[in-house]
Amino acid sequence: MATLTADRKRALRTELEGMLGRGAVLSDPDELLVYESDGLTLFRALADFVVFPQSAEHVSAVVKLAHREGLPFVARGAGTGLSGGCLPAEGGIVLSLMRMNRVLEVDYDNQLAVVEPGLVNLHLSWKVGPKGYYYAPDPSSQQACTIGGNIANNSGGPHTLKYGVTTNHVLGLEVVMPDGEIVWLGGKTRESQGYDLIGVFVGSEGTFGIATKIVVRILKKPQAVKTVLAVFDEVDQASAAVSEIIARGLVPAAVEMIDQLTIGAVEDAFGCGYPRDAAAALLVELDGLAIGIETQAERIVAACRDSGAREVRTAKDEAERQLLWKGRKSAFGAYGRVSPAYMVMDGVIPRTRLPYVLRRVNEIVDAHGLRVGNVFHAGDGNLHPNILYDPRKPGEEARVVAAGAEIMKVCAEVGGSISGEHGIGLEKADFMPFIFSAADLALMQRLKHAFNPQGLCNPGKVFPTRKSCGEAGAVAYRPHAIEEQGLAQRF
Amino acid sequence: MSAVASRSVAAALRSVTAADRVRDERAALETFAVDAIVPRWVARPVSVDELAAVMTVAAEERLIVAPRGSGSALDLGAPPARLDLVVDLSGLDAIVEHNADDLTVTVQAGRSLHALNRYLLAHRQFLPLDPPGEAHTVGGTAAAGLSGPLRFRYGTMRDLLLGVRFVQADGVVTWGGSKVVKSVTGYDVPKLMVGALGTLGVLGELTLRLHSLPEAERTWLVAVPSAAAAQALVASILDSTLQPNRIELNDHTLGAADAPLAVLVSFGSVMEAVVEQGERLARLARDAGGEARAVSGEWTTASDRVAGDRRTTLRVGSLPARLRSTFETLRRALGRIAGARSTLGAHTGLGLWRVTIDGATPEAIATAVAWLRDAVAEHGGYVVVTGGPVAVRRRVDPWGPIAPDALALMRAIKTTFDPDARLNPGRFVSGL
Ligand SMILES: Cc1cc2nc3c(=O)[nH]c(=O)nc-3n(C[C@H](O)[C@H](O)[C@H](O)COP(=O)(O)OP(=O)(O)OC[C@H]3O[C@@H](n4cnc5c(N)ncnc54)[C@H](O)[C@@H]3O)c2cc1C
Repeated sequence: MATLTADRKRALRTELEGMLGRGAVLSDPDELLVYESDGLTLFRALADFVVFPQSAEHVSAVVKLAHREGLPFVARGAGTGLSGGCLPAEGGIVLSLMRMNRVLEVDYDNQLAVVEPGLVNLHLSWKVGPKGYYYAPDPSSQQACTIGGNIANNSGGPHTLKYGVTTNHVLGLEVVMPDGEIVWLGGKTRESQGYDLIGVFVGSEGTFGIATKIVVRILKKPQAVKTVLAVFDEVDQASAAVSEIIARGLVPAAVEMIDQLTIGAVEDAFGCGYPRDAAAALLVELDGLAIGIETQAERIVAACRDSGAREVRTAKDEAERQLLWKGRKSAFGAYGRVSPAYMVMDGVIPRTRLPYVLRRVNEIVDAHGLRVGNVFHAGDGNLHPNILYDPRKPGEEARVVAAGAEIMKVCAEVGGSISGEHGIGLEKADFMPFIFSAADLALMQRLKHAFNPQGLCNPGKVFPTRKSCGEAGAVAYRPHAIEEQGLAQRF
Repeated sequence: MSAVASRSVAAALRSVTAADRVRDERAALETFAVDAIVPRWVARPVSVDELAAVMTVAAEERLIVAPRGSGSALDLGAPPARLDLVVDLSGLDAIVEHNADDLTVTVQAGRSLHALNRYLLAHRQFLPLDPPGEAHTVGGTAAAGLSGPLRFRYGTMRDLLLGVRFVQADGVVTWGGSKVVKSVTGYDVPKLMVGALGTLGVLGELTLRLHSLPEAERTWLVAVPSAAAAQALVASILDSTLQPNRIELNDHTLGAADAPLAVLVSFGSVMEAVVEQGERLARLARDAGGEARAVSGEWTTASDRVAGDRRTTLRVGSLPARLRSTFETLRRALGRIAGARSTLGAHTGLGLWRVTIDGATPEAIATAVAWLRDAVAEHGGYVVVTGGPVAVRRRVDPWGPIAPDALALMRAIKTTFDPDARLNPGRFVSGL
């Protein structure tokens, strides 16, 4: 990538300011630093410009300029991504969408909303909550992450077990294509004719263009919620219980697992009432109609007991339920008590293989002389092993990365996937061949070319072509600002 | 192509499959005609590798290929201009892997939905796709984007298809998606294959998310006096915490102007929850001026397209809260067709209508479709001709207009997957 001369850079800055207004363009290295990485700080890269468009026309104008200049560009939401997805190529333009954060329309009669991409996920649920509605995909980062970022990563959350991930909730998109043209894909009606462009745009990790308006479904809030905590003396029993729940055809809204190391950290930090001596606990939530929910809860309890749970209890009121969820949700913050740093892995396996894979994860991490805490969306088979380490110890981070790669291999070997919700980004680009053949990858590359023929839109992501994109930093993990404020946790 | 060349194509196809699985006799070929265009060969591979070998021969010989499942939806799309090879997928009907405890299944594309669901019944599981008709294959259901009333609760193939093994136009076997219920690993290629009418590749194996069968299920019918009352009822159901499996507007014969409308609602859950929801529905029904009564769940109706249907059938997309105005618009459009007998029904919880037209001239139908397209476009609606006589589909683009910028993208995608335009060419949107 040719670096811009100082003169050229000044001229472009003036041009960008002309388009977007003063105060909407950053080019001072100190200011740019804030945008050099996302939630995964292993990778860093500096842009030439960070800009703050306020409309699709703004985005289009910036993208046209980038196109004209041959500059790479990338959309950025809240920067909570965990795979390096919104990192700039060294140089180029970052389009921060945080000023495009309006709810443009809510149509309760047709149960949909039209929003701008920089809208924070939870803010949509706040907006429609008073009328009894909510937006279902609930990544744990939902107090900070944007719906645009969710679209790019097809984000999930605890309750996507029952309600589906982002892609199941998107009806239409306005997109600024990599050449700057503004295109509508889909709309408000169900189905549109021709190829499912929305379906393939969602989950394309920002490489197909920039979403500038999003039509999403909103759902009626369930009438009742019930939360069950099951405690196990062996991890295998907890894994078996997850399998058992799914196999018995029970449909909980969420099934989350927390292991002993994590419970210890959580109890040290917050005291949420998880038993420290348990090898693992399952947090199972049912929602839906008030009537019948007892019957279903009894069956969940039975499935847990039959799998060897030593204790199963139902939250007796909302306060107890909140406390249990707090334990689950604050797990991340709690790791800080037991380790200076950790790196979160994201993989998916068939739910029936949980016992085997969790054993393997422990063996792998052990063999690298490290420790791991597991807290994850067990109902979907979506693992999040968190490998604890000390970045000041030479070589430890490299061992974490090596262990991570081995864990991903295991996920692939059992027929799983190397990312359930964090995306491939930069982090896992080199692991794609674990899952896909050269022919599969070549087809996807060509598909990318159909959307993004110049390759300027978020280059270097998803595909294993990277030589070195961004420098590897000294610390793979630093708490994201929202985590430091206790607003979210990392899974 | 000379007779000699033609024989050599047959020989090449036989060499990669088996002698009796390649047909080139006129009588046999005629039964595989698509819109009266008779192919020159039919090949019936019985494995994905054979399918790939067949497609490789087709690529070498530059043949125009039409994949075929059961043949029940072949009149979806524009009539073909030319056809060389029909790839009959009925021999690819195995269940490759049923991971019962994980609620996933991998099945070959030629397996019929019914056969798959019969097999799954023993496990109290099902693939909740219910397009009307018995014959549809799983692959055909994906390619044609078929669905039924259950989509209200379970979504469509798009929501259930996790991974797909398909053969590209050049014969290369390709995998997209995953075998697990959640994944963001590479682009969502499976979504692209749903509803693509086989124009991007020939589906070989599909990995699908399954659901467990509800323990109990019951259906209620609410007769309401008018479209306005139907709209009020549907709105109150949607805005409630009820969790229906299906919300249908049942068949309506358009002749009788003020005939009552029937809204059908089913609930599936544990018995106590089903019963209670029925009671709540009854109250909502009374508020809307109707009466709910329990009926047996019969979901195939006169406005469903069936195999060999000679009627023209339409799918009309609208919004659920536009029930009344869409109904009036449809009535006006259909009333303009001289001599026509029409029925209509809807997945009314989702605003998707289906219309049948019988006994009218192709010209009159084409005119009415054009009028209807204009009328619904104002609110983002659309009209697709989902089947009917060739004469109708020659006069009117079955898919309707596609916005030029979206179409440009679709063309780029088509070129990516099928650069020589040999997979069902000309049949899909805007001649793709
Ligand atoms: C504490 C914590 C907890 C988390 N928990 C979860 C979880 O439970 N589930 C989950 O799925 N993820 C989770 N994540 C990951 C992350 O929050 C999600 O991937 C989220 O969707 C990213 O949103 P963002 O706005 O921060 O996007 P960014 O990180 O800014 O960007 C992510 C990607 O989206 C692209 N992008 C952003 N906006 C657009 C747009 N408008 N159009 C096109 N592309 C765009 C970027 O280019 C980039 O590729 C968590 C992260 C953290 C830090």
